Amino acid sequence: MTTGSTPQCPRLFEVEASRDGRLSGEELTRFRAHLGGCRDCAREAQALEALASDLRGVKAGAAGGDELRVRRERTRLLAAFDVALVPAAPESVTRRGRAVMMAFGALAACFVALFWWHERPRGTVTARTNAAAVPSAESVTVRADSSARWTRQLEAHLEKIVLESGALSIRVDRTRAQRRLLVILPDGELEDIGTTFSVSADGGHTTRVTVQEGSVVLRVRGNATIVLAAGDAWTRTPPPLALPPAAPPGPSSSFPSAKLPPAARLTPSPSGRASDQGPGLDAEPVPSPPSSGDTSADFRSAMGEFNAGNYGAAAKHFGMYVTSHPGNPRAEDAAYLRVLAFQHSGNAVGTQQAARDYLSLFPNGFRRAEVEALAR
Amino acid sequence: MSARGPHATSPRSASASSDAELMQQIATGELNGLGELYDRHQAPLRAFVARVTGDAEDVDDLVHATFLAAAKSAARYDGRASCRPWLMGIAVQLLRRRRRDTSRLLAVLDTLRSILRRTTEPDGVVPIRPDIERALARLSEPKRVTVLLAEVEGLSCAEIAEALGIPIGTVWTRLHAARRELRQALGAGEVSQS
Repeated sequence: MTTGSTPQCPRLFEVEASRDGRLSGEELTRFRAHLGGCRDCAREAQALEALASDLRGVKAGAAGGDELRVRRERTRLLAAFDVALVPAAPESVTRRGRAVMMAFGALAACFVALFWWHERPRGTVTARTNAAAVPSAESVTVRADSSARWTRQLEAHLEKIVLESGALSIRVDRTRAQRRLLVILPDGELEDIGTTFSVSADGGHTTRVTVQEGSVVLRVRGNATIVLAAGDAWTRTPPPLALPPAAPPGPSSSFPSAKLPPAARLTPSPSGRASDQGPGLDAEPVPSPPSSGDTSADFRSAMGEFNAGNYGAAAKHFGMYVTSHPGNPRAEDAAYLRVLAFQHSGNAVGTQQAARDYLSLFPNGFRRAEVEALAR
Repeated sequence: MSARGPHATSPRSASASSDAELMQQIATGELNGLGELYDRHQAPLRAFVARVTGDAEDVDDLVHATFLAAAKSAARYDGRASCRPWLMGIAVQLLRRRRRDTSRLLAVLDTLRSILRRTTEPDGVVPIRPDIERALARLSEPKRVTVLLAEVEGLSCAEIAEALGIPIGTVWTRLHAARRELRQALGAGEVSQS
């Protein structure tokens, strides 16, 4: 489309051709020399550049510089990718199925609550459990065994239960709770963060904590603070009488215990048994890889086993990675991939234990939702 | 056209991982790799998608889908130093799919909108965008994408051809046609023939 009555330079088309990379070598050199002396071509080059400049000035969205939006979108992307990484387990429940199950669960809970309300005046709960049930003026219900020695103190924003010995079963109704609940133990304390749990003490020591719902924070002197979630149990480990000679750690579904403080070690839930440690691992013991100190190399090594389908070895390597590099940003990835490795290997018990290990180490971890499903 | 756009070169510290390295990390399931890739390319990619779509409501969703598709295909990445052209190509594919999926719905909505406009809005109320934006919006999507990739994103014609999966001759043709239509719409003077 040529306009105007004055003859134009016959090489005008080469302006666009050179801009688009259609000219090269001698052609391009000759045209550049021509461009310096041709008014038509120079004007055309300027016009094309002006058009490009206009296009670059087209607004690219008002929210382009919104940092909050960028962070939000980034988080959304990583979460979506994370979900995409989880293999679709055949037994996994679909969202719709889960919603239906939740609806049935809620209905059943209503029936149970109605039934309980109807039966409550008869006082059968206390009689059945043969324990002293002491409902709080607030929202804390304490059931103590017959040998328990304990006291309760109410303060402005804190409710303290001091346990000297015996066993207590405590339920906290968070919908009504107005105070923090702290259970003072002979050798530490336990803070409730919305839950039902049991705690025992004996001989000046906390001996066992089990959590039925929600979670608690357990602080025992000389041990790391740990968070116990529903289904978790903590048992005091008596100090070893004699240390066996150093040996490579045997196959186990939990992290190598030498790296964790004894009392911070999570034991399997009451249903767990020593023989549940996973037949796959027992059948194929994998030597523990020595940590190279190079976090990337260790991670790659574990990932290599995973990608090669050696899931037993991958679980072992990831476990070693978590204990060798606990502060590394990839430790959470490793703990999570360890869960997946057990899942791929078909080791249900190992998967459950690895999921619980993940939740205990990363209670607010990025994959908490998925891992919680696998921990049940 | 080696350095036309503002993003033609991307300065990067020597210690940072290359795009190819990040893609390798993503292929092994590392979230950090994807996070770094997002930090590096989200702004130009979002700007590109916003320009192509006229800053549509779903720009963020398209950018999200682009990165997610890229992450899922990370293992197939060919190892080029910069993956921006590849990301742009994915975005264009998603735009194409979006247009196909929504074309029927949009037709209905357009009809409704025109009826509503006739009944509720007096003439001249519709906001008028600057000429260049209006001219750009009038281009067909393939031409609009091509001219934006070339003139704004600074991609070479070979890179555009690879990103869009079309012959380089088609890229030249679309570029020429897009420029001609834009200049006509903007009332520019001389337009070369080739």
